[in-house]
Amino acid sequence: MSEAPFRNPGWAGNTGEFDLAEAEVRGDSYVGERPLDGGHPGASPSLPYMLVKKDPSAPLFEGPYQERLDKILDRYPTSRAALLPVLNMAQELRGHVSPGTMDEVASLLDLGRAYVRGVATFYTMYNKRPVGRFLVQVCTNISCNLCGADEVLAAFLDHTGTELGETSADGNFTVVEAECLAACGFPTCVQINSRYFEDVGADDVTAIIERLKAETGDARL
Amino acid sequence: MPDNGRKPETVALTIDGREVVVPKGTSLLQAAAGAGIEVPHYCYHPGLSAPAQCRVCLVEVEGAPKLQPSCVTVAQDGQVVRTDSDEALEMRKGVFEFYLVNHPLDCPICDMSGECKLQDYVFAEGREHGRAHEPKRVFGRDDFGGDVLYYGDRCVMCTRCVRFMEEVAGDPRLTVVERGSRAVIDTFFDQGLEGASFAGNVVDICPVGALVSKEFLHKARAWDLDHTPSVCAGCSQGCNVELHTRDNLVQRLKPRENQEVNGHWMCDYGRESYEWINRPGRLESPQAGRGSRRKPTDWRDVLGRLHARLQELRGAEVIVIGSPLWPNEGLAALDALAQAAGQVSRRVFRSPRAQDEDPLPGFPLLIRRRDLAPNVDGAGLLGFDRDGSDVGEGGLDGVAAHDGILLVLGDELRDQSEEFGASAALFVYLGTHDSPAAANADFVLPVTNFAEQEGTFVNAQGRVQRFQQALRPPGTARPAWLVLGALAAALAGNGPPPSRADGAFAALVAAHPAFAGLDYDVLGVAGAPLADAGAATAAAAGQRAP
Repeated sequence: MSEAPFRNPGWAGNTGEFDLAEAEVRGDSYVGERPLDGGHPGASPSLPYMLVKKDPSAPLFEGPYQERLDKILDRYPTSRAALLPVLNMAQELRGHVSPGTMDEVASLLDLGRAYVRGVATFYTMYNKRPVGRFLVQVCTNISCNLCGADEVLAAFLDHTGTELGETSADGNFTVVEAECLAACGFPTCVQINSRYFEDVGADDVTAIIERLKAETGDARL
Repeated sequence: MPDNGRKPETVALTIDGREVVVPKGTSLLQAAAGAGIEVPHYCYHPGLSAPAQCRVCLVEVEGAPKLQPSCVTVAQDGQVVRTDSDEALEMRKGVFEFYLVNHPLDCPICDMSGECKLQDYVFAEGREHGRAHEPKRVFGRDDFGGDVLYYGDRCVMCTRCVRFMEEVAGDPRLTVVERGSRAVIDTFFDQGLEGASFAGNVVDICPVGALVSKEFLHKARAWDLDHTPSVCAGCSQGCNVELHTRDNLVQRLKPRENQEVNGHWMCDYGRESYEWINRPGRLESPQAGRGSRRKPTDWRDVLGRLHARLQELRGAEVIVIGSPLWPNEGLAALDALAQAAGQVSRRVFRSPRAQDEDPLPGFPLLIRRRDLAPNVDGAGLLGFDRDGSDVGEGGLDGVAAHDGILLVLGDELRDQSEEFGASAALFVYLGTHDSPAAANADFVLPVTNFAEQEGTFVNAQGRVQRFQQALRPPGTARPAWLVLGALAAALAGNGPPPSRADGAFAALVAAHPAFAGLDYDVLGVAGAPLADAGAATAAAAGQRAP
């Protein structure tokens, strides 16, 4: 008797939370204060998908972003401590942290440019190069790897037609390997932008891309 | 803190079975070093903050639940420390094994080989054989600009260079980029270290061969170099340095610690301005006769003839041109000879000056001074006046046509014509190299430069600093004080001339009150301030005024 491969029963898949509107989760007043693209200063890439097109040359810290910057600076005793959230905000606006962005942030916070580069390169969640609309991070660390992460990674590369770490020609996908995503109980874990897809097998990849297509209403994917 | 006559507070502890008493607040690493026990360390450097991140200075402290990083653990009264317990050695052995996982072991082509701390420590404490079979990661090398080249593969990530640039140079250009095994030291993309005038120090403090000097690259092996305590001749700060020599040539300069002058550091200008010491084409034997009648001769002959000539001209007007590249002893002997020979009308020197000073923010005592010669202040104290322009030329009005005695030491008179000194009754030229302007010299005497002799300089702080002989003099060149002292003593008839540098210094102290109370032996390798250093500085300042 052939059994279906073991799948974790309850945690993967669409739990419905993303069908809720922001207002239902956080309350109207909160939504009203949110910045232009819905980002939050403390967790700026918080939207499940990058619904707003990133502009690598967008001006930093103008208008509502200036207000958010002021709030961030108020929150920390030194400008050095504010570096991470400010870089978050810059990435939220521009999609990645370019050398020029590091320089701007350094002069804004009165920090050494080299120091800002050191911080930005230390953290893998800052993209140092432009990435696609969907940043697909496939965990290939121990648990996931034992459960077929390599095949999942290969399937993503195959479906998106891109190389590891590169962005697909249509600008939609960047597929990278990630170290542990802290979801070892549900391998293989894939993080797409800020959402986790758990228990992903190589044969699920088509469905995930279909889902992205449906949720964003973008038939080009 | 009020000074109530008590001794500074101390703590007594035991390190490796030895009783050690150290001032309160001393780290275990320093306390052990004081007792002659070297605990391995990378990230700790006495001139920088200690982040305790390299983990190679772990030692066992009785009562502590785990090994302690000795560079940041403060010595406590009654503490019992073991730097060589089985546990500490086993732990450090493990740490070194991790360092070697990605270290290339390219020692045969690495400039640091022989003075590399990874080499030393692994040899002393590491495993006999590595167990890492995986390929090592490779970065290649990165030209940081200036004189600094970075080999990322060899780096142990101690971040001394990063902290030096931030804390001492006040120019935080270096940082750790990336993380984990991909981490390297880098600047902000293409910025580099170009224009950072103290960046050469990062090469000195790098414990391994990650940061190396381009200028010294593959020039000599560390074990072939002789180290001589000396003083940098680049400017009047007089940073304490070691001359590293091989094949009777200076190969490089390294700073030597002196907390009163330069800390652990020196500037790139001084570090790179040593080639003049190695300049070939030296005068090797004394010569006598003007122009086409010049003939090489020997010292006995030339000194005899010069002495006779000085006797004949006794009482004539004497003009003396010195050089602040020469030590006090030579300049003092020059002055003594001039006084014995006749009426000294002028004592001058010419020396280049920079546009401005270049201080080191993190060690304010260290300033690259405007005067780009080591003994400008000594020359001032010995009665020499500055002449000429800021490039060390010009001036000397009326000297070319002087008809008395003309004594020149060290100044090559590059800007003077071949007619210089034509009308002088006696023109004596003492130098390292012949010069067109010395064509009319009656006597050309080869003397040693500062690296080929012992002596003292007075720096801009009014500190008298000794340097030792690093090189063999060429041919029969002799120290200026020996030649001039012999002539002066013979002329003045006041006893035997000094035959050693300490005697020359004693003669100088006796003749010049500014140096009163100084003793050659007491100067040691660290130097000592003039009794009235303030006055000396004021005199030098007055003398500097245009």
